[in-house]
Amino acid sequence: MITGAPAAQGRAIRFTGNWREYLPIAATNVLLIIVTLGIYRFWAAARQRRYLWSRTEVIGDRLEWSGTGKEMFIGFLIVTLVLLPFFLFIQFLFPALLARGKIEAAGGVLVLFYVAILYLSGVALFRALRYRLSRTWWRGIRGGSDEPGWNYGGEYLGRVALSGMTLFIAWPWMATALFRSRWNEMSFGSLKFRSTLDAEGLKRRWMLIYLAPFAAVLAGILFAMAAGAANPDAEGYNLGIAMMLVVVIVLFYIGIPLATLHWYAKYYRNAAETITLGDLEFGFDATTWQWLKLFLGNIALAVVTLGFGLAYWGYRNWAFMVRHMHLHGEVNVTALGQSTTRVPTEAEGFADAFDIGAI
Amino acid sequence: MVRAKFYDGINAERYTAEVVVAGPHSILVTPSVGGPVELDADELTVADEDKQQLVVSRRGMPGWRLILDQPVDPELRAALPGTHRYGGWIDRVGLGKASLVLAGIAGAVLLVGHTAPLWIAPIVPPSWERNVGDAIVGDFGDLRCRSPQGEAALNALVERLDPGATAPGASQIRIAALDVGIFNAAAIPGSHIVVFKGALDETKDVDALAGIVAHEIAHVRRRHVTEALVRELGIGALIRTFAGSVGANAEQVVGLSFTRANEREADADAIATLKRAGIDPRPTAALFAKLSKEAGGDSDPALEFLDSHPGSKARAGNFARSYDSKAIYRPALDPATAKAMLSACVAPPKAPKGN
Repeated sequence: MITGAPAAQGRAIRFTGNWREYLPIAATNVLLIIVTLGIYRFWAAARQRRYLWSRTEVIGDRLEWSGTGKEMFIGFLIVTLVLLPFFLFIQFLFPALLARGKIEAAGGVLVLFYVAILYLSGVALFRALRYRLSRTWWRGIRGGSDEPGWNYGGEYLGRVALSGMTLFIAWPWMATALFRSRWNEMSFGSLKFRSTLDAEGLKRRWMLIYLAPFAAVLAGILFAMAAGAANPDAEGYNLGIAMMLVVVIVLFYIGIPLATLHWYAKYYRNAAETITLGDLEFGFDATTWQWLKLFLGNIALAVVTLGFGLAYWGYRNWAFMVRHMHLHGEVNVTALGQSTTRVPTEAEGFADAFDIGAI
Repeated sequence: MVRAKFYDGINAERYTAEVVVAGPHSILVTPSVGGPVELDADELTVADEDKQQLVVSRRGMPGWRLILDQPVDPELRAALPGTHRYGGWIDRVGLGKASLVLAGIAGAVLLVGHTAPLWIAPIVPPSWERNVGDAIVGDFGDLRCRSPQGEAALNALVERLDPGATAPGASQIRIAALDVGIFNAAAIPGSHIVVFKGALDETKDVDALAGIVAHEIAHVRRRHVTEALVRELGIGALIRTFAGSVGANAEQVVGLSFTRANEREADADAIATLKRAGIDPRPTAALFAKLSKEAGGDSDPALEFLDSHPGSKARAGNFARSYDSKAIYRPALDPATAKAMLSACVAPPKAPKGN
């Protein structure tokens, strides 16, 4: 049997939740997180995802999240047990070297520390994605990956280091190559994800981020010169300098985040368009302006509700992603067999520890 | 008989199934693929339950899903297992009761965590603290100013303030001058007191330095250093680990800080010490007054004696008020020793390589 994307019925992927329905989950999560001093956050995340996944319909069937708070908590404990001695060691070693005046050795230890953190961040990114796919079900089929992510960690470290050597000018090539490596190892059921993402169409937006600080300084200087020319006395000069600082700072704090958002908007659109799963193709249509509205809305919501709105950030972000996502093509549901990948047991411990997202 | 959606977990094909109640805790499922199967509630879990549907999964059969439309017949619902709502025992106890119990535990943990350093610090053996301190600082390697006259003078100052304090033993205070150009002194785990070169260079009056060292001795004697160590590595760290992330803690290299109460206590002790030793407290007061004027912005109180928190002025006042016009004060050190101390870090003789 072939189930095509039912174009006649509208979107093949849609979000069916609403904020009132989610309110009891959000409120009880906040309450329990507070009274457990944060420990409940793993269970809260599981409940949130169970709701969000169940309100996401893909070609007429709901997604299902099967991850549990317990496994995320255990994953966190394991990672803590692995990382804590490492952190404690560094915590003592670094000041001990400093106290003995061994500045170079202390610097070396710090570099090694950051190399290790970078490697583990790569591993964490990979494993977080694998974990999420392995706990995502659709029509009784789940996703996953056969790779544990250790190789990916190495690739991540190498590519970030190389990109660093180019003063991050090569970032678009790095980010897209890593995206490909990550997704090409992922599968859903018997189908493999494929991505052909490259830096095409992303370079200009990256340069914009790069040029933003220079542009800010340049604009500031021009502004100061104009102000100085208008009032060629000492007071005019001081005014010019003050104006310049204001312009530079404003452009810096608004310009760089905006340029970054501009880059990510395109990055996500391109990334989604290059992903295929069997005969299924994906798409994503959120513009910079829509992303900006999402983030400003999140902040406004948190402010207006005196912080409670934070509990809705995950909801709003997920709804945003789903509403802007597209799915085309067909899926042969008879041929789409169960995933044979190993089910990871350690949940998102590493990603959680380094505070990074999955996609 | 109830009709349900059914997935077998082998492929993504959607089947139907007929479901009937087979017993008080069992159901009979007849899918459109394969034969009928009677299932006990123990073999099933409710994966999700909301106003629209009830999703049942089967143990040991990944992807096996029976999806019933709501409302589910009450007799059938009773034959199925319960829903996991909040998770674990919270479901059994009830949200209200569980929240109260958890809030109580959280309060107790916070209270213990907050006060733990105060009652743990006194019972930490000094030898243990000394080992930790030595592991962290050793003998300061190349940073230490190794002028024998300078070291002797620093020890003489400690002896003047706290007779017998530098004698070898568990409570020996070890003082050193470090070749670091900041105006500061610090108490460090292992009963170490360090005075930085910047403080020696800029001090005009040795009696002011005596006030500073007296304050640091108080931190050591009152075990404020141990307290800070416990606070940094103890239960507080554990709570922060859960509330935040390990990553956030990674950057935080040991930075011990004393509480305001610690500082007040050390000041009071220093005043008493100066009085006992017959040293004029006014130079110390003058130093504080000068610093409170200079201090702008907030400095990191980590291991710092002269931090700029707003109490600087009040602290100067406390020292000034302790001046007794009828008392007979003697200089902290004789002129020759004072000179040796202040020049402890001047052109330090080349230290031997290694630690």
